[in-house]
This record gives sequence, structure tokens and C-alpha cells, in this order.
Amino acid sequence: MSDAPPLDRRRISRALTRVANAPVAEVLAAIGDSKVQPAFRIGITGPPGGGKSSLINALVQERLSPGTLDTLAVLAIDPSSPVSGGAILGDRIRMDAIADLPGLYLRSLSSRGARNGLCDNVVDLLTLLEVQGFDEIILETVGVGQSEVAVHEVVDTLVVIVPPDAGDSVQTMKSGILEMADIIVVTKADMPGARRMASDLSAVLNERSGRSVPVLQTQADGRGVADLDRAIDAHRNSIVENRTEETTRESRRRYHLRALADRQVEEALRANPEITEGTLKASYDRLLATLRA
Amino acid sequence: MTLEKKRILIAKPGLDGHDVGAKVIALALRDAGAEVIYTGLRRSPEQIVRIAVDEDVDMLGLSILSGSHKELAASVIERLRIEDAADIKVFVGGTIPEEDFETLRAAGVRGIYTSEMTIESVIAEIDSQLS
Repeated sequence: MSDAPPLDRRRISRALTRVANAPVAEVLAAIGDSKVQPAFRIGITGPPGGGKSSLINALVQERLSPGTLDTLAVLAIDPSSPVSGGAILGDRIRMDAIADLPGLYLRSLSSRGARNGLCDNVVDLLTLLEVQGFDEIILETVGVGQSEVAVHEVVDTLVVIVPPDAGDSVQTMKSGILEMADIIVVTKADMPGARRMASDLSAVLNERSGRSVPVLQTQADGRGVADLDRAIDAHRNSIVENRTEETTRESRRRYHLRALADRQVEEALRANPEITEGTLKASYDRLLATLRA
Repeated sequence: MTLEKKRILIAKPGLDGHDVGAKVIALALRDAGAEVIYTGLRRSPEQIVRIAVDEDVDMLGLSILSGSHKELAASVIERLRIEDAADIKVFVGGTIPEEDFETLRAAGVRGIYTSEMTIESVIAEIDSQLS
């Protein structure tokens, strides 16, 4: 650690709540258009119960070890109940080893009904954390199947975890989230089948995509996590070489605009139920008129 | 229910390892629409307050069966004050003898929920505290 000032946790968390609950106009005012330095963003995704939270618990210790980063934020998303809209946010249960790290800010989020493994305002929250000056952000998605690939669009390095007992579900993941992976981690590597799973994944992915995707193995006690830490840095260096900052900013801007537009449409439909009356054409025109107003 | 978008922390301080009551309350709050953060077992008052601040919760529930409810609740409430987060309301659940209610309330505890109460009445009280 350097002698950076301690995080103003109260202020940061208040700001996140405000942005999380605000209508689009207020969000724009809050996160502004200041050209903030984009933070390096790592996404962690994979099936439910696959070991995402345990992996983050170990990975954050590596990322924040002495002489590395000063500050790191983790956003951990859990699914909301489709019945009540409420949520149990339990990622902290498996993140006890990092609970006291001074440079860490950890926030649990409800998916609030989103179906893409994220929550619909996740980009606003990521941007706000960048405004607050975090060096790095880890985003943990909801436990996902094969199709929730949106996380790929909002992070720099995507880590996809696969538990050794994933079995046939890996067959379906091969087209989908695994294709988006920058690094694959077979978790629970002390379980039978882990090595086989890792070599199968390695063979299939690297043969088909023609790019070299590292396939690593980790255990709950932290074994293998230092390798993951190094693989993340290696990927970071490779994208710095191969992709300009403008490209990153441009593609993130596009995603952010789409997310804001989606929410604006939601807000308009909720506030003006009459939009949906009449023919589809009439509804569409009314919707556009409402958005312009 | 009006607990939609309310954030509530359910915390297990101290050394007792029984969290069935904490989980029952957490599920009931979720069913009432709240976003419930659960800490897991054996958290210190320092850790609990840091979580409450990081998560910007509206209310913090301490589930305590060990008998140290007076000390733990007072410690958490004092630390919330130090962190400029005294607006986070604290309630206590578990095995709390009635003769301790007065002390807990004087320390700033807003609600005391024992196993004699029905879940519905606990949720209704939390709901009225937050509306």
C-alpha cells in the first residue's frame, strides 16, 4: 500500500445508492461527462454455485497485495426474486478473508429484474466508481447459463469459471459465454474430473477459435489464484498493445447509451400507460414523441 | 409491501453459530420486496459497521443468541455514530430477555424481535420503521 488517503466509504456508497435509484436525467447529472480515466475492469462470470465468490475472495487478496494496487472496487450482482422483486445478496458469506482490506470497496447489487446476468444500471455504477478514482473494478455477474454474454461488453478482461462437475452444460456453454472468455478457470480443482475438464476446454476452445485462451485451475484454499492474477495482467498488457483507449471508450459509450435508452423507454412506458393503446404504429409514434418531449 | 428498494443488512456478530433465525428473517424480508445483505457468521462489530456503510443500508439487524446482545448492540451503534452513519436503524433479534429491553432501547436499538413474535408482525414493524 502507498500512503493514499483512506476511502471515504460513506460518500461513495451514498453516491452509488443515489445513482442506482435515480431516473435517467439525474443519472446524467450525477456521473456527468467528465473524461474520467477508465479503470481496468475484470468480469467474473459462470454458472450458479460454481465458485465465483470464493474465487474473488482469493483474487482480491492477490490484486491488493503490497506493492500493487491502492484501491479496488467489487460489484457483486445477485438475482432478484421474480415474485417479490426482493433479493438475498449473499456474496459476502464467501468473502470473509478480504473483509478488512483497507483499499477494498465491496458492494452487493440486486439484478432488479434484468435477465442478462447484470443489472440494468450497472454501467452507471461502474462509471461512478471510475469517477471516484478506483484503480480497478471487479464485476461478479449473477450465476449464468450460456447466453448471458452482456458482461463481455462492459469489462476489459472476462474470466469465465467452470466447475469440474459442470458436465454436459459445458457442451452448451461452448457456443455462448465460453466464446467470450479471455481466461477460463476450472474451479474446485481438487475435485475429480478437474484436470480432464481443463484439458477438454483447452483443446476445444483453442482449436476452434484460433486464439489462445488460458485455461487455469484453482482451489478454494487459493491454490492457482496467483496464476490467474498473472494471466489477468498478461491479458491486460495484450489489450493495451492491441487496442487503443479510444476504441474502449467508443464501445463502452455505445453500450452505455443503449442502457440509458432502454431505461428511458421503461420510464416513459411506466409513466404513460396510454402509449400502448391503439395500433402498433400509433404506439410507436407516441413513444417516440414522449421520449422527445 | 413497501420494502421495495430498501436495503437491509442481516448480521451475525459474536461467536454463536446458529443462523436459522437470521435466514428466516432474511427470506421474509426478501419476500416483502427488500434487498437483503447477509454477512455470514461470526462478524466483529467493526466488520458489521463497515459492511453497513459500504452497502448503504437503511436498516441493520443483529441476530444474537449468545447472550452478549447488550455489549454487541451498544458497540455497533457507537461505531455507526463514529462513521457518521447513525441514521442506519438498528434492530436486534434472537433470545433477548425482557429485562434487557430497556437497556437496549436506551442504547439506541429501534426494534427488538424475539422468537415469540410471528414473522408477519416482525416484517410489519420493520416496514413501519422504514416508511
